[in-house]
Amino acid sequence: MSWAKHFLDKIMLLDLFAGLGITFRHLLKKKVTVQYPEERMEPAHRFRGMFRLDEERCIKCTLCARDCPIDIIYIDWHQEVNPETEKKEKLLDRFDIDIQRCMFCGLCEEACPTNPKSIWLTSKTYELATYERWQNLYVDKRELEDWRVRPAYTDEEIV
Amino acid sequence: MVEVDSSNLSGDTLFGVEEMEINFGPQHPATHGVLRLKLKVDGERIVECYPVIGYLHRGTEKLFELHPFFQNVPHTDRLDYVAAATNNLAYVGAVEKLLGLAVPPRASYIRTLLSEMQRISSHLLWLATHAIDIGAMTPFFYTFREREIILDLFEEYCGARLTLNCMRPGGQPYDLPVGWVERCAEFIEGFPEKIDEYEGLLTENRIWKKRTVGIGILAPEVALEYGVTGPMLRGSGIQLDVRKALPYEMYDQMDFDVPVFYNCDTYDRYLVRMEEMRQSVRIVQQCLEELPEGPIMGKRPRVLKAPKEGDVYHAVEAPKGEIGFYLVGNGTPNPHRCRVRPPSFYNIQVLPEMVVGGLIADLIAVIGTTDIVLGEVDR
Amino acid sequence: MVDFFGETLFAYAVVPLVKIIAAIAVVLGLIAYTTLAERKILGFLQVRTGPNRVGPWGLIQPIADVAKLLGKEDVIPNRAVKWAYVLAPCLVVGPALIILSVIPFGPPSSEGPVSSWFITDVNVGLLLVVAIASIGVYGLLLGGWASNNKFSMLGGLRSAAQMISYEVPQGFSLVVPLLMAGTLSLVGIVEAQLAQGRWFIFGFFPFGFLAFFIYFVAGVAESNRNPFDLPEAESELVAGFHTEYSGMRFALFFLGEYANMIVISAVAVTMFLGGWLRPFPNVGWLSFLDLAFLPAGLAGCLWFLVKLLVFLFVYIWFRGTFPRYRFDQLMDLGWKWLLPAALMAVAATGLWKILI
Repeated sequence: MSWAKHFLDKIMLLDLFAGLGITFRHLLKKKVTVQYPEERMEPAHRFRGMFRLDEERCIKCTLCARDCPIDIIYIDWHQEVNPETEKKEKLLDRFDIDIQRCMFCGLCEEACPTNPKSIWLTSKTYELATYERWQNLYVDKRELEDWRVRPAYTDEEIV
Repeated sequence: MVEVDSSNLSGDTLFGVEEMEINFGPQHPATHGVLRLKLKVDGERIVECYPVIGYLHRGTEKLFELHPFFQNVPHTDRLDYVAAATNNLAYVGAVEKLLGLAVPPRASYIRTLLSEMQRISSHLLWLATHAIDIGAMTPFFYTFREREIILDLFEEYCGARLTLNCMRPGGQPYDLPVGWVERCAEFIEGFPEKIDEYEGLLTENRIWKKRTVGIGILAPEVALEYGVTGPMLRGSGIQLDVRKALPYEMYDQMDFDVPVFYNCDTYDRYLVRMEEMRQSVRIVQQCLEELPEGPIMGKRPRVLKAPKEGDVYHAVEAPKGEIGFYLVGNGTPNPHRCRVRPPSFYNIQVLPEMVVGGLIADLIAVIGTTDIVLGEVDR
Repeated sequence: MVDFFGETLFAYAVVPLVKIIAAIAVVLGLIAYTTLAERKILGFLQVRTGPNRVGPWGLIQPIADVAKLLGKEDVIPNRAVKWAYVLAPCLVVGPALIILSVIPFGPPSSEGPVSSWFITDVNVGLLLVVAIASIGVYGLLLGGWASNNKFSMLGGLRSAAQMISYEVPQGFSLVVPLLMAGTLSLVGIVEAQLAQGRWFIFGFFPFGFLAFFIYFVAGVAESNRNPFDLPEAESELVAGFHTEYSGMRFALFFLGEYANMIVISAVAVTMFLGGWLRPFPNVGWLSFLDLAFLPAGLAGCLWFLVKLLVFLFVYIWFRGTFPRYRFDQLMDLGWKWLLPAALMAVAATGLWKILI
């Protein structure tokens, strides 16, 4: 009697009522809205957010600047003799990142050879809005160190 | 450009036929990006349709030539920004073919897994935008609820939600975090019910059927001539899927079907994509079960230098069609030329074929079913 | 002379004026909160909360919206036809509010027309309703044409065509309860439902249901709501007749759409669902539902309001669930399916009444 069923389907609008039923059931379900800014979703552990630089760990190898796909890391360093230890060491003059262009891809973090890494993006910070455009232009090493962030992961923390 | 002989459009009338030229501009809520269509309409019937693209051109292919192979992976994310993992996979597969790198099996399984999750995510977005263009607003919110979970899983894996940068030539950069496999399995368990929910809202709905059955007919010969691939082709009855035709990664060991429907209209393409989501669920479940232990990055030289003469083309089944990378090496770490074969670029060529003779309201439905992403079309 | 300026003036001029002001105030408030209800309920259907920032549960949101719209710049396009441009929104809101004058919100009282719960009772009330509703089409046409914008005009023409073609099945489906009641007066129709002991939606089964269904679907199309809202959909090429309007004029169009919704629901409640009557009007043991502890007639008013709110919920539910019809399919539906069904319902009801 499939023709009868087909006829009834068409006249009694069963498909439309099924749709109405589905949406009605959702009225009673829990809502998925997150009330930002009172509630905030925490990004994952590996979330690639804003940078943090640790100047002491950095060995000034400039591998990060070389690996950046859009060449936005600018590093200047010079060698100097440290008066206390009587040894030559590198000092960082300039470490600027152009946040306007950065795509937070993480290749600089991957390139960094130190362990734990000296530059990392897992700071879980994504609220980078500023009122003026130039405030995001170059983020220098002082600002990179000032971000209140979490420390980088080391190799043991993976898996 | 397809033209219709406009001398006898409205039959024999006392009034002259006047066509109106409308610019379906780059900024429009229904064009999924910056697509411009120059339409000539007679009343509501479309007489001519001429797509104008290039509003999102960013010089990606030139950018590829300026940096070494492994640094170009983030640029490939931005081609089809909705389905970044398959773009990455195509590029990384091409580089591996050119340089002769071997990929360990665990990395291969992870790549298959990520590709299929990305396919589900991209089809969910397609469903959301297609439905909302036709007027049903609620599937948008339901599909985005599921898509949130997939994006969260991606975030846990590689750190980003949309522009993933999750593959490297030679293997994977990271291994799966603790508990990821369980979370993924939990999501996949509950997902087929959600597909049933979307289908309950749309598939049998008479209004949906009226808007999509018989609209946007694409004959199989025309599709093959234009180089259309993906669900557009499979909705017209041609069984061609790169995963089965030229298997890559672990697809030859996976057990799945490729849905094909024969009516060549919008409704069939909708059915193809819904069924593809279900098949992706099968593949993901198989991957999760069979995931082997082992290293995730194969042996590779410190500097990835291409051979002096060599070119390679590697294609992958992206959610939108076949995406391919043609890489030419010249002995340096940078590619000499990298040409992208974007599926949406070829799919959009058949838009005039499908739309001429229909109404403007059908144009909206057809743009939705073509599932274009302008990032790919314009690169 | 004394008579003219004494009681008669009071009964026939002052009291109706007060009632009109009260009715319009209540309906305007209801419209404003219907916009909020729509956003909240649509949100709930879509597993999200609607507006909830402006007040608890977003209760002050409509006031914020009105304040925003009042503060916008009043733009009249350069070559628009000014008188028509200004008149069009009024012609959309006006008829909807005028129909309110004949709709009975509550029972007539035995002491005469002053303390009845309706503004007036014309004995051709139904005819008045249908006639005035047709004036609403002028507003759309004028608005679309006066904007000096070819897309607006097309949108306006489409809207007007849709409204006119759905008025026919709507009118015919209203004949069915008319046949059941035997009088054109709206108060008389509700009293007939009380006398016959059942709501007309259950009468002459299944033709009461069929007539109600046709009336409701035609009503959804009349007020340009989903699934029939192609003329004003945002993802279409033509944004509709209200493209060029901004600020308070646009608010008036918007208000007119919701006022239309409310008035169509009110007429449906009166004709099919028993107006101010409780669910089973003649079943004795359910008389506690009459809420006799409230002042006379207020209970009827509350029942009316409850039924009206159910209709508004169904409108919003439809919007959240269905895709929209294409314009030619819409016209197909109106002329090829609803009109024959309505004619059939009228013929069958007539035959039933004669033969049985």
